[in-house]
Amino acid sequence: MNKIGVVIKREYMTRVRSKAFIIGTVLSPLILLALILLPGLLTAKSGGERHIYVLDQSGDAALFEGIKNRLDSTSATFDNKRQFGNMRFTLVRVVVPPDANIEAVAKTYNDTIAKKSNEAYLILNKAILENPEPKYFAKNPGDLAVGNIERAISAEITDRRLAQAKLSKAEIEKYTKPVELKAFNPQGEEEKGVPRFVIGMVMLFFIYMTTLFYGIFVMRGVIEEKQSRIVEVLISSIRPFDLMMGKLIGIGLVGLTQYLIWVLCALALSVFGVSMFASQGVTVPHIPISWLIYFVLFFILGYFLFATLYAMVGAMVSSEEDAQQAQMPVTMVVVLPMLLFGMVMANPDSTLSTVLSMIPFFAPTLMMMRVAMVNPPMYQVVGAMLGMIVTIIAVVWLVAKIYRVGILMYGKRPSIAELGKWIRYR
Amino acid sequence: MNVVELRNVTKRFDEFIAVHDLSFTVKQGTIFGFLGPNGAGKTTSIRMLVNITAPDEGDIKVLGEPVTPQIQQRIGYLPEERGLYKKMKVVEQLVFFANLKGVPAKEAERRANHWLARLELADWKNKTPVEMSKGMQQKVQLIATILHEPDFLILDEPFSGLDPVSADLLKNVILDLKQRGKTVIFSTHQMEQVEQMCDDICLINRSRKVLGGSLKEVKRSFGRNTVILDFEGDDGFLTADLVKRQKRFANYTEILLQDAADAQEILRRAVALGVRVNRFELVEPSLNDIFIESVKKTNGEQ
Repeated sequence: MNKIGVVIKREYMTRVRSKAFIIGTVLSPLILLALILLPGLLTAKSGGERHIYVLDQSGDAALFEGIKNRLDSTSATFDNKRQFGNMRFTLVRVVVPPDANIEAVAKTYNDTIAKKSNEAYLILNKAILENPEPKYFAKNPGDLAVGNIERAISAEITDRRLAQAKLSKAEIEKYTKPVELKAFNPQGEEEKGVPRFVIGMVMLFFIYMTTLFYGIFVMRGVIEEKQSRIVEVLISSIRPFDLMMGKLIGIGLVGLTQYLIWVLCALALSVFGVSMFASQGVTVPHIPISWLIYFVLFFILGYFLFATLYAMVGAMVSSEEDAQQAQMPVTMVVVLPMLLFGMVMANPDSTLSTVLSMIPFFAPTLMMMRVAMVNPPMYQVVGAMLGMIVTIIAVVWLVAKIYRVGILMYGKRPSIAELGKWIRYR
Repeated sequence: MNVVELRNVTKRFDEFIAVHDLSFTVKQGTIFGFLGPNGAGKTTSIRMLVNITAPDEGDIKVLGEPVTPQIQQRIGYLPEERGLYKKMKVVEQLVFFANLKGVPAKEAERRANHWLARLELADWKNKTPVEMSKGMQQKVQLIATILHEPDFLILDEPFSGLDPVSADLLKNVILDLKQRGKTVIFSTHQMEQVEQMCDDICLINRSRKVLGGSLKEVKRSFGRNTVILDFEGDDGFLTADLVKRQKRFANYTEILLQDAADAQEILRRAVALGVRVNRFELVEPSLNDIFIESVKKTNGEQ
């Protein structure tokens, strides 16, 4: 055990400290997180307040009042709860006569908005009810304020058009009442937010990418030791099997570390990001804990299955260039579910989907997707995992025999027949 | 006490016999030269000694026991094909290799620092091998081989690629280890090194043992068939019926006699030709000649 421990420690420490790992793991989700949270943070920084000059050429004071009232209700939420996404709006009406050149008037405000990021102006054009072309000008015109303003103007104009059609306020409310579609599962639980197939797909891609990446890391590691001829020194100190397992476990732990960091980021997002998304009308997906457990388990199992095969490829070749070709069959097996998942997604409960998702090489991706989409019966999920464990044991047993011989062989890549001989060597 | 005992060891790879019926012993506290041309089966034999592969037939005992992982801990092995992790700091690699041999990290680091200083690499401990010359990497590899203070060392071409200063440094380390009772198997193609350092030798060719025993006895058994000659004048008297091979040096010529030739006959012919002979000495053959002769002879027989 001690010697495996020494190898695990080396594999883990050298990789976790590498720039690639830090960039790939820590930075990329942080960047993602920052991209998602930044608008909210910016809003919070500028106090979430907007002072808007409304350059009104519509000649319709009631329209302005209507928009203002709608935005005031948004501001009330802001006063209530200062959070990302909530904003307070102060509107000032600047009446522009119908014959004035609105662009010229607008120009005089450009300096102000260029200097102050919390000031903006809004142009309400002539005959806006028939031909609505409102324009919004601000230093950061792409921020959260726009959505709020757009919704307010759109709703107000719709209401006023209907009012022109001689509809009473009550009638307008009645006719424009939005329709909300609720989705339920057979247990009668309502399911809100991001559709489950999207979550399933995200999880499938994550497992696919990580098992592929880490499998290739293992292969490179084996080739490095072989190519630099360290391996002969190593196996005069440690059994080849222990060396291989140490490498598999060490690199696997690097992967788990990456998963852990990602899960923490996801938690951070759900804590800080939910309210912001809510204000945008998007609900952050609710992912049950059981899914996360399956997610991690399927990663671990998938990693061991594929990484062991990649270790075999590494042991068979003498250089990275050789490996390009030799890894094809293994990579095919890893990539195949990517060609099949569409079928499973379209019909996750069909016999074909069930069978495919039970095949050990496809289970980590396809079963994970089915878990997210259709709650497959427990026996299927556990069965797929057991099938994988049995396959992993068989693959490790076989690969260990090839690895033991292969790491000391240089030159031509072995044929299938030669591999058979290697397996039978004492 | 014998540190290594090989008895009738045979190793096959499919039809190819890599090592055939090989036997030899290595006594404790000696330096043993394990010699042979490329492809003779040296590496395969050494791999069996360190338990990388197992023999098909025969017995191997190292330090009195069949080779087990426990015995492996007490062996230091510097293979001919060797390397270091390219992007790992020197001191970290040394600690890693020593850890694998069961030395705790702290102790390993202390020893690593000691040896790096002794081999004039102290400034390089936090560098990676990519930044170092080949010779430096070689020294680091030697340190990795001896850091766990093995009782028995196998050094395969330890001097290749070293400049004379480093080679001398390394030679002193090896002789020092011998002084402290360690046993060394030393494999090289540089026969002068063997003559200077080895007590016993074993020469193998085409999977079989050709020669073996103490260096002195081996040389004696070849008899005094070599003449060191320093002469002035025509060399026409050195004819093929008497001389098997000759090597010219700046101040003398080394002549290997034909098997049946009489050394006195050379002298007689030289005098008859009026050549001035300044030095005429009958000596034992060099190990280099013994090596070449033996290998040629066995190649011819088969």
